[in-house]
Amino acid sequence: MKRYETILRVCATTAIFVGSFNAEATAAEGLRDVIDREVEAAWQREKITPSPPADDAEFLRRVYLDLAGAVPDYDETVAFLADKDPAKRAKLIDRLLDDPRYAQHQADVWDLLLFTRSPPGYDTDKREHFQTWLRKQFAENVPYDQWAGAILRADGNTVDDGPPMFYVQYKSKPEDATEAITQIFLGVQLQCARCHDHPYEPWKQVDFYGMAAFVSRLDVVTVGKAGQMNKYAIGERPSGDILFTGPAKDQQPGMKGEPIGPKFLLGDAVKEPPLPKDFKEVKFTPNQPPPAPPFSRKNELVTWVTGDSNPYFARAAANRVWAQYLGRGIVHPIDNMSPSNKPTHPELLDVLARELAGHDYDLKWYIRELVNSRTYQRSSRGGSGAELPQWFESARTRPLSAEELAESWRTVTGYAAAEKLSGKKPETSRFRPLEGGYVLRFFGKPYNGVGDFQGGLHEHLYLNNGPLGTVISSAKGSLQDALLTGSESSDAKVDRLYLSLLNRPATESEREKIAAYVAGGKPDERWREAIWAIITSSEFRFNH
Amino acid sequence: MHPQCPTHEHLSRRAMIKGTLATASGGLVMNWGGLTSAAGPVEEVKKRKKHCILLWMNGGASQFETFDMKPGRSTGGLFRPISTNVAGTQVCELMPKMAQKMDRIAVIRSMRTSEIDHPGGIYLMHTGYRPSATVRFPEVGAIVAKYHGTEQSDLPNFIKVSTQGDAGAGFLGPTYQPFGIGHRGDLPQFSTSQIKSDVELRRHNLRSFVESEFTRERANDPARMHREAYESARRLQGAQQAFKIDAEWEKHRELYGDSAFGRRCMLARRLVESGVPFIEVGQSSYDSHADNFSWHKGLVPPMEHAWAGLLTDLEQRGLLDDTLVVWTGEIGRTPRINNRAGRDHYVRNWSTALAGCGVKGGLVYGESDADGFDVKRDPVTEGDFFATIYQALGVDPTIENMAGSRPVPLAPFGAKVVESLLG
Amino acid sequence: MAVDLGKQKPKLHRQLAMAGPWPMAVAFLADGKLAAGDQDGRILIWDMAAAPSSPVAGSKSQSAPSSTPIRMLVGHTNGVSRLCASPDGRRLYSASLDHSIRVWNLDSATTGEAETIVEPQSEQDKKAKKPEPTVKVPTQEAEKVLAGHGDWVSALALSADGKRLISGDYGARVIVWDAATGAEVVRWSGLPWNWIFAVALTSDGGTALVSESRYKRDDFDVPAAAVRLWDATTGKEKLDLLKVQFPKYDPQAASYEASQTWRKYVSHGIIAAAFSPDDKTVALAVAGENDKGTAHLHDVATGKLLRDLGSHQYGMTDVAFSADGRYVLTTGRDTCLRVTNVADGKEALQLGAPRGGQFKDWFSACARSADERYLAAADIAGWVQVWATDAK
Repeated sequence: MKRYETILRVCATTAIFVGSFNAEATAAEGLRDVIDREVEAAWQREKITPSPPADDAEFLRRVYLDLAGAVPDYDETVAFLADKDPAKRAKLIDRLLDDPRYAQHQADVWDLLLFTRSPPGYDTDKREHFQTWLRKQFAENVPYDQWAGAILRADGNTVDDGPPMFYVQYKSKPEDATEAITQIFLGVQLQCARCHDHPYEPWKQVDFYGMAAFVSRLDVVTVGKAGQMNKYAIGERPSGDILFTGPAKDQQPGMKGEPIGPKFLLGDAVKEPPLPKDFKEVKFTPNQPPPAPPFSRKNELVTWVTGDSNPYFARAAANRVWAQYLGRGIVHPIDNMSPSNKPTHPELLDVLARELAGHDYDLKWYIRELVNSRTYQRSSRGGSGAELPQWFESARTRPLSAEELAESWRTVTGYAAAEKLSGKKPETSRFRPLEGGYVLRFFGKPYNGVGDFQGGLHEHLYLNNGPLGTVISSAKGSLQDALLTGSESSDAKVDRLYLSLLNRPATESEREKIAAYVAGGKPDERWREAIWAIITSSEFRFNH
Repeated sequence: MHPQCPTHEHLSRRAMIKGTLATASGGLVMNWGGLTSAAGPVEEVKKRKKHCILLWMNGGASQFETFDMKPGRSTGGLFRPISTNVAGTQVCELMPKMAQKMDRIAVIRSMRTSEIDHPGGIYLMHTGYRPSATVRFPEVGAIVAKYHGTEQSDLPNFIKVSTQGDAGAGFLGPTYQPFGIGHRGDLPQFSTSQIKSDVELRRHNLRSFVESEFTRERANDPARMHREAYESARRLQGAQQAFKIDAEWEKHRELYGDSAFGRRCMLARRLVESGVPFIEVGQSSYDSHADNFSWHKGLVPPMEHAWAGLLTDLEQRGLLDDTLVVWTGEIGRTPRINNRAGRDHYVRNWSTALAGCGVKGGLVYGESDADGFDVKRDPVTEGDFFATIYQALGVDPTIENMAGSRPVPLAPFGAKVVESLLG
Repeated sequence: MAVDLGKQKPKLHRQLAMAGPWPMAVAFLADGKLAAGDQDGRILIWDMAAAPSSPVAGSKSQSAPSSTPIRMLVGHTNGVSRLCASPDGRRLYSASLDHSIRVWNLDSATTGEAETIVEPQSEQDKKAKKPEPTVKVPTQEAEKVLAGHGDWVSALALSADGKRLISGDYGARVIVWDAATGAEVVRWSGLPWNWIFAVALTSDGGTALVSESRYKRDDFDVPAAAVRLWDATTGKEKLDLLKVQFPKYDPQAASYEASQTWRKYVSHGIIAAAFSPDDKTVALAVAGENDKGTAHLHDVATGKLLRDLGSHQYGMTDVAFSADGRYVLTTGRDTCLRVTNVADGKEALQLGAPRGGQFKDWFSACARSADERYLAAADIAGWVQVWATDAK
């Protein structure tokens, strides 16, 4: 009840926000309704015609990809489309949120964010224990502030626990850690302030180093082995300061740096208790857990980052997860929430952030509200053609990730079903039967290590000339097998083809075209080519 | 890559947009822009085919170790000036070959630009514009591809060889996207089709049908981009020969100098001969925050050898009159030498150079002050620089393209062509 | 008299001011004298027995007295890269970026006088834009100029018997000289793309260690470094240490991948080298900037790596053995001179302390006096730091 009072207050004080509050808020109104009301009010204001609502097939494929990280298989598709229950969308959402693939997919998204495809630091590519831990957070729906805090607190070790792996990336690089923490968890970018005062932003170089001071005493300690794998823990030295000499370009021989103490971004400096007189600097011993310091700067940072007193955390999370489902942040880019980068729907963002925090950072609740909204369930047909519509008047178009592509290819071609039917133990690679290295190279990292895009043309060279054919299985249980051996009419077969590959029935012209294509030659070759043509097409490549 | 200022740590606004999407989705394909419409001047310009080769000094080459020596000054550094084939003009001793080409090139010693970090600078010196949250400006390569390119050509109209910059075609749209190839100038993996051409054709026709069904109801940029990239991937099958340069390289090793950059420069000349209007050739790692002198001693000699070889080769083949060769990086370097024997980023005063396509050779334009801290005479902004490039290429820099509903001139409003550089 | 250097507690004895361009090389001479050369080509000589001068007013970085230099050696027109003193300490050899090597006879008379800046200017005077203070110093010219290099002379070493001098330049050329006459004994070239980073000679001048490297031409165009032992009389290669260390090492390959075989070992180049007094081992100092630089200790007979000695954040700049061969002295970009026990690789002494912000200043070279009474480091902040041991 209290939550909606906050909404009222926010909106009431914003006189310019015409149309944002023409309906009475009721206690029964969910966040999804507030979203729709605010987004639709903006359409009126901006004189925008939205796309129609998404049909069942469009919704089905989209929500599967967004919640489970893969498209539905043929049976799931047919069942959903045939279901007459008016509440079937909400029920599907509930089911997918409880599906183990939800946790896997969320873990994929956050793992990529936290580590990128090529993380810095030694052994950070061997982080399955971190990934398992992360998956567990989503499976158990641990509140976001708690697991984000656990990553930053980094208790335990990288094998038995997992979280310390985040800092392993930034061994001896507190400045890099500072950039990552502020960008990921606070949605702000300080990297320019690392080398010089930023002309357009409120934070200065000393603010950057004030934040860096919180993590400057951290070190990576090897505390044991599990098989071939090193176990790392994060130790914090009780003393030591980050030295600041002004802009790098002005550093001259003989200058001494000034120590910079820990200070929260645009917030307070932290008062540290003095070190004891007989203090001796700690040297971490290998194979022993590093002792906790008498005063932990790192833990001060964790408390502040995930606490109520910092203005960034809830907004950054609300905006980031919003963008995950709606394509574009209300502040966009989502990790540049600086005063100079204004939100498109400021009141809505306030509500989202308050609600998310008010629900104790329950991400499942928040995501359920987002995907149940009419806004999420718009069609991608019509509209301006923008991939990320600014006013959310059409669904966004986003490419499938490398993991989504591999999983979806395997699902739709029946490779997965045939694999199961064969009873053989499948290979463990997530990208099987394709080579993960290639899938990641062409689809997993659209930009090279220095932020440059590496080519749309290149992915087509792979799709056209590479080994994609290995996923178009003809084994028993596969789609190709069903098409070749089935006794249905050719129209029914084309329907099966489309329901399997694109989760929708074929249109009349598609039935004709494909049937004629298959009839024109050897059926096995022709079905195979038809499958290739569809799974390399835009309709498959994107979540729309 | 340098520890203090690695490019990947300086994410530009554009890079951030991408970074964001990459994290949200695991991979986004392209900077698909809004639609553009500018009819008229394109056809006029295309009648006079011009080419442009951009030699990109990634990280920012030092003006003090190339074209703007300050001998005897505290900012001068360890290298000494040498005379050139233009009386009264001296360059750094690291450039003996280019010293004999000074009558062919015009040096600008008075660049003053407005983005001091790599991402912003890379964006700026590829587009003429500072990064903006609302407009995706196209790179010079996309603009040249538009005004001097050939539609439906087998070879892409905008080719980047081992280089930087991710602005791409911006609002000009997917047709003018760059095709990036690797550091040896080879085509990327999977460039060659393994199936019979009749099978490939019928499969292609079917796929085109599938695409058209999807896009009928969707004026969808990603899908269009996907389709056009697919089309270029197919067309590339017919043009593979242009990239097979091993045999020719053996003959030209001496001329270009035996370096990877030299090989790339020879490929650029070959692509010009094959009709490609814009080729960018990159050399990495000028970001000498430490050991500036060793780094430049390592980088400049192979670069200047290749550059001089390229000019000779273009001239001997009669291509230099219609090919503009641009030499620049994203930034210059500080006059002051820091406590790591390095030079940091500097944009108040630095140097670039142009050659060919009617640019007057033997010219030094502008002047820096005694220590190289500031422009003393005739400052040239990024806008002026690009206006001059477009003018040299016979494209009016004031032509406007539409970014959504906003008209955007090729060179920023107010930019001045440096007329005295052009013959 | 032999001392155990590692057991000393050296005290900062002098901070010899050398304001202006960076001091890059340092060597001890006879009779308690010391020479240092800077990046502009100036070489100054100090007498440790000279009266100490008072520290610069308000200087935070000076805690020991300086003194006025007694001589300035003039002639070089570009930076001095290395200095070597003859065993008797009466001759000095200097290598320079002006492509020359000069030989100086310290017993000859001075020929003129010059004004030069040595004292750092106080902060107040700097703010007031006062002209920098100068002193008058007697000048001396070279006895001989050794020409033969066509590029920066970057490496220089003298055999312990004082008879052979070896030098290397950035055009891959190595020359062995007769130290007494200045005549060339033999010359050879390294891999054509390389710069000679470091040279060393065994005590009889019979064997040379040559380290070659260059900065990359591009991220994907990284020509190979080389570290080899040569017959210093015939100029014939004796042993390729990188081949011993890395069987896959291919000096002709310039790809990024090929460079990964040797890159970590060489890092930014083996910047300095020294044979042990018994000539059985050779220490190779690794320059860094990115990482820590260590000194690789190799067995001369087999070329095998024995162990790594010491560590300087951001790389080493110089290496020397103690007189008894039990220690190596190293300087680095961490503003430290370190003394490391050769037998176990443990650090025995750290002189100086890291200074500056993210990147520290460099100690660009080190030296010890023959009697080990003094240790010195050239400091780019404009000092030659001198420590006194308890040795008599």
